[in-house]
Amino acid sequence: MNDEKNDSILVIGGGIAGIQASIDLANMGFQVYLVERSPSIGGRMAQLDKTFPTNDCAMCILAPKMNECYRHQNITVLSYSEVTDVEGELGNFEIKVLKKSRYIDETKCTGCGECAQVCPVELKSEFDQGMGTRKAIYKPFAQAIPNLYTIDKKGTPPCKAACPAGVDVQGYVALISQGKFKEALNLIKKKVPLPATVGRVCTHPCETECNRGKTDESIAIAALKRFVADNELSLGSEEITPAPKTKDEKIAIVGSGPAGLTAAHDLVLMGYGVTIFEALPVAGGMMAVGIPEYRLPKNVLNIEIEAIQKLGVEIKLNSPVGQPGFTLDDLQQQGYKAIFIAVGAHTSRKLDVPGEEMKGVYHGVSFLRDVNLGNEVKVGQKVAVVGGGNVAIDAARTARRLGSKEVTIVYRRSRQEMPASEEEIEEAEHEGIKIHYLATPVRIIGKDGKVTGMECIRMELGEPDASGRRRPIPIEGSEFIVDADMVVPAIGQAPDLACLPKDNKFQISSGGTFEVNDRSLATNIPGVFAGGDAVLGPATVIEAIATGHRAATAINCYLQGEILPPEEELPPSVRIEDIDLTDVLETKRKVMPTTPRKQRAGSFEEVNLGFSEKMAVEEAKRCLNCGICSGCRECEKVCEAKAINHEMKEEYLGLKVGAIIIGTGLDFYDVSKLDEYGYGSIPNVITAIEYERLTSASGPTVGELKRPSDGKTPTNIAFIQCVGSRDFKHKPYCSSVCCMYATKEAILAYEHHPGTESTIFFMDMRALGKRFQEYVARAEREYGATYIRSRPGRIDVNPVNGNPIIWYEDTTTGETKKFETELVILCQAMIPSRGIEELASILGIDLDIYGFVETPDKLFYPLDTTRPGIFACGYAHSPRDIPDSVVQGSGAAARAAEVVTTKILEPVAGGG
Amino acid sequence: MTLEDIIQETKTFYCLECGKCSSICPICRYDPNYSPRVIVENALLGLESDLFHNGELFSCLTCQACQLKCPSDVNYPIFIQKMRLMASNDGQQGECAHSGALQSLVRLMSNPDITQRRLEWLSNGYRTSEQSDILFFVGCTPYFDPVFEDLGFQVTDVSRGSLKILNYFGIEPMLLPNEKCCGHDMLWMGDVKTFQKLAEQNAAMIKESGAKKIIFSCPECYRTFKEDYPNYAKIDCELQHITEFISGVIEENGIKFKELKKKVTYHDSCRLGRHLGLYEPPRKVLQAIPGIDLIEMKQNREKSLCCGTSAFTNCDLYSKQIRVERLLEAKETDADILVTACPKCQIHFRCAMVNKGEEKGPDIEIPVTDIVNLVANALEGENNE
Repeated sequence: MNDEKNDSILVIGGGIAGIQASIDLANMGFQVYLVERSPSIGGRMAQLDKTFPTNDCAMCILAPKMNECYRHQNITVLSYSEVTDVEGELGNFEIKVLKKSRYIDETKCTGCGECAQVCPVELKSEFDQGMGTRKAIYKPFAQAIPNLYTIDKKGTPPCKAACPAGVDVQGYVALISQGKFKEALNLIKKKVPLPATVGRVCTHPCETECNRGKTDESIAIAALKRFVADNELSLGSEEITPAPKTKDEKIAIVGSGPAGLTAAHDLVLMGYGVTIFEALPVAGGMMAVGIPEYRLPKNVLNIEIEAIQKLGVEIKLNSPVGQPGFTLDDLQQQGYKAIFIAVGAHTSRKLDVPGEEMKGVYHGVSFLRDVNLGNEVKVGQKVAVVGGGNVAIDAARTARRLGSKEVTIVYRRSRQEMPASEEEIEEAEHEGIKIHYLATPVRIIGKDGKVTGMECIRMELGEPDASGRRRPIPIEGSEFIVDADMVVPAIGQAPDLACLPKDNKFQISSGGTFEVNDRSLATNIPGVFAGGDAVLGPATVIEAIATGHRAATAINCYLQGEILPPEEELPPSVRIEDIDLTDVLETKRKVMPTTPRKQRAGSFEEVNLGFSEKMAVEEAKRCLNCGICSGCRECEKVCEAKAINHEMKEEYLGLKVGAIIIGTGLDFYDVSKLDEYGYGSIPNVITAIEYERLTSASGPTVGELKRPSDGKTPTNIAFIQCVGSRDFKHKPYCSSVCCMYATKEAILAYEHHPGTESTIFFMDMRALGKRFQEYVARAEREYGATYIRSRPGRIDVNPVNGNPIIWYEDTTTGETKKFETELVILCQAMIPSRGIEELASILGIDLDIYGFVETPDKLFYPLDTTRPGIFACGYAHSPRDIPDSVVQGSGAAARAAEVVTTKILEPVAGGG
Repeated sequence: MTLEDIIQETKTFYCLECGKCSSICPICRYDPNYSPRVIVENALLGLESDLFHNGELFSCLTCQACQLKCPSDVNYPIFIQKMRLMASNDGQQGECAHSGALQSLVRLMSNPDITQRRLEWLSNGYRTSEQSDILFFVGCTPYFDPVFEDLGFQVTDVSRGSLKILNYFGIEPMLLPNEKCCGHDMLWMGDVKTFQKLAEQNAAMIKESGAKKIIFSCPECYRTFKEDYPNYAKIDCELQHITEFISGVIEENGIKFKELKKKVTYHDSCRLGRHLGLYEPPRKVLQAIPGIDLIEMKQNREKSLCCGTSAFTNCDLYSKQIRVERLLEAKETDADILVTACPKCQIHFRCAMVNKGEEKGPDIEIPVTDIVNLVANALEGENNE
């Protein structure tokens, strides 16, 4: 055994027993570490209104103790922390403590509460037993010690985890629910510089993963993004000032699609000079020339692109890189220190069937580009589109609008495998477009070099291919003809590599895309980066935007000679199983208003019309707030002490102590298990701890005793003792304090409203302490308390007024009676604090059959656990009231002090 | 067996006199002066002879609602059973309903020399066999038919319905031609001597038949064989209620039922429910029939309200009020049919509806049927009965 004198003591549990033990030891000169798992010390006593038998205000007598404890120079309070490991032995324990992250700097927070005012996430308050609310950033109660706020983060909301760009989805949805549209838009813009566009065209993987979708229907996240973006546009854009140019370097970006625009946006805000070279006459890439007007009005896109230009990004249109004067070498010579290639994937894949060169074969990508550029386009009367992605659907719906009488889509797999979004497929069908599933063209038929039809063959699905989808296999002899005067192939795209010199050394994949470093998007040529569809192949706008951000970060590091920072690792996603759904009512998702179908023929007017403000706010309120803290960052904006740090990490501390005291206290037994009493189904049946919160001046009703069903103040109340206690079917033991606190609560009711009648249904009146019996007698004499010796068996409810009706037998007369009252208080059994089994296992101590700490020698060493050097006090030891918990706290302190100074291994079992 | 033995065996000494039993007991709701707790108190005070002559000892429905919630885990129904045994030795037996007709019939049956003509209810079209692994225990339905003629239904319909179902699934069970009453009522009335005779005779006949499995349509017979016979006579067979059998077929192969568009509510009998813990098989069966909308009564499963009389003894005004409460609850569900799985529950409910007493009483009319009859009518390819 180590001879080094270790006179530090660890106290686990910051309730009254732990506080007392800590103060006693500290006054003796020992160093004390008090570890409390919730954000504040105080324990259950803080939740009480008053304490028996003196009827002192619980907080008034507790707070000075909490203060003394916290300020004592020999006590270190580690709040919001848990013990995770215990090694060693008496005199020499090595402890590992997990200090959970509050996301708030403890040295700066003043507990002022400005942050909580602006937090949009409200949830049930544990301190108020679910009867009141708190925010995601919170202090458990007003007198909390330490006087610090804490941010409750539960994990990553699945929406944010699913978003390729990592948008703080829960954050902006929460802000919308509070009507803070500008703040919501600003949060979106941190990751998405084109919100009105993305809100219209995004494939919204967030909605697929939304936990609300596993309950009833997912939140209409994309529509909400569109709403705040459109809302801002309708209010008229603010003046955008160019970003200050703080760096000498300039960067060339090839392509003005979403990847290029995002990278440009980020880099110009970092202070670089940025020029985008765009081959086409318009900016926006596929957003401008791929997506049709009725899905994305060009004026909306253009306003958003202009906003980026106003920051100082130069966009040169009609400037195809690769042409003389614009080659990559030219750009380098012109002084561009880094190049980001974001040319997209605009080259359409050939069908590779005979007849493809005939007139009337019009590739989808080209067709859409021509329409979007306003070029003259003649569509056929019978159009056959080949393909199943959004390009195919866009081309088909565009052809309809341009006047084609018959538009058919031919797709080689079945509807389930179609990559296009379900909404698009449905709308196409509604617009009269026929879809041939499981068919593919084998040749294009024509006359005089002009298309007259397409010969197709039917397919069946075989084994899955590399993409995971089942491979289509042609059925022999199943050929059929589709009449057409225009064939639109839309079966895939690849990047147009014309921007590269003929003898370039770039590594290109077999699919025609740039091969780049996963993290930095750097190509094999130093200083040249690539992103968007040019790397991903035909993908989505949001994925392209994500690569734009990544490229900007990488380019900045490259130019500044810095190392790329490590990837942010997100905490695990919150699953639906981890969410309390008890108060969630089934509510349907708001449906996007659309232009009536009849009006759409021949028109390129926008089909989706967007949510109104009312719809948006109501829809946003459906969010379950999976991650609790939504990441909206509103708190940061108002914290004058600059104490908030959302990136703060938890930490582990190592302590060396000589002895350990456990004072982890109690939890409440779930009395809904005693369904005869109707807790959970009859509103006016509450538990005693809920009653304490109602009568407490700091509680959800500011001390007004209001009953749940109608807020009425009851003047006739009833208490039922031993609910779950002294019951072989639940907890056989006596919870020790209920007889006295029921009497106390009856007295309090009378003090709040003189004349209140309380009936206490008891088994025995256990009034074991000093002056306790007198207290009970006074309640009977002066405070309207009637004691009936009986254990009720059933509670019905009066449907007219919501009054509970108690059935009981008057055991003095043997008569079964009914008793109607306005409020029933169940004196619930109390159990050792949840998690005590894990703690006991960490500490290496035994628990008894009820979960209380086992103390083998009940006569002479009643506080010693089964491991030398570890002692127990308070409710963790056994059911007892506050004075006795204090006594045991002092007792445990004395034992700990004794063994640490004398280092005598005292007997654990037997003795005396 | 002494009073002390009974108290020890049923843990009555743990009683804390809390009165929870009385506040749950359905009889106490209508007879406030009835008190299970006082009965226990009297036993503990050694005042059993008062109890025997009191008659209240025989009012208990033995429904087990109290035992479900007793914080001291007192086995009250068995306590009552054993106390009645002692009372019976003292010459008491409670007030037999129907002038003791049913009890007399059972006692006659217990004579080993008596041969009965019990199978007349078996009309054409029902197949049984002399040798089978499965035996169908009919119960006393053939005797109930004449006694309860005024109720307007044939209790033997339950037996016929059960056979129809078994035949449908290819089972031709054995039937005991001289089957004796399971003895449930005798045991619960305290007449253990008669009970023992019946149990031994049934056990001998079953053993001789070579049956491996016995299927019951009456929860009281089932409970008696499962829980009470082992102390008196050896039965080496697997035991099953017919709803367990049907539910098993649904799980294994599925059953294609005809559509039956009805709202039904299901009454858990005390013996199948609280005594044996079988709440789900009947519900599974009902929910497997397309078109059936099962609506639960407020007091369902463990909380189910007893049908009001046990062992055809002490059937009185309070029994009637309990039945009315239950029927009103059934009507509140707006169901078309009240379904039971116990022939005796059906008898008691129908009795309440037929013998309404005052014309101005509450409307408690609701069609009652046994679950086997509902199921039998829903079997594909079968004609309706």
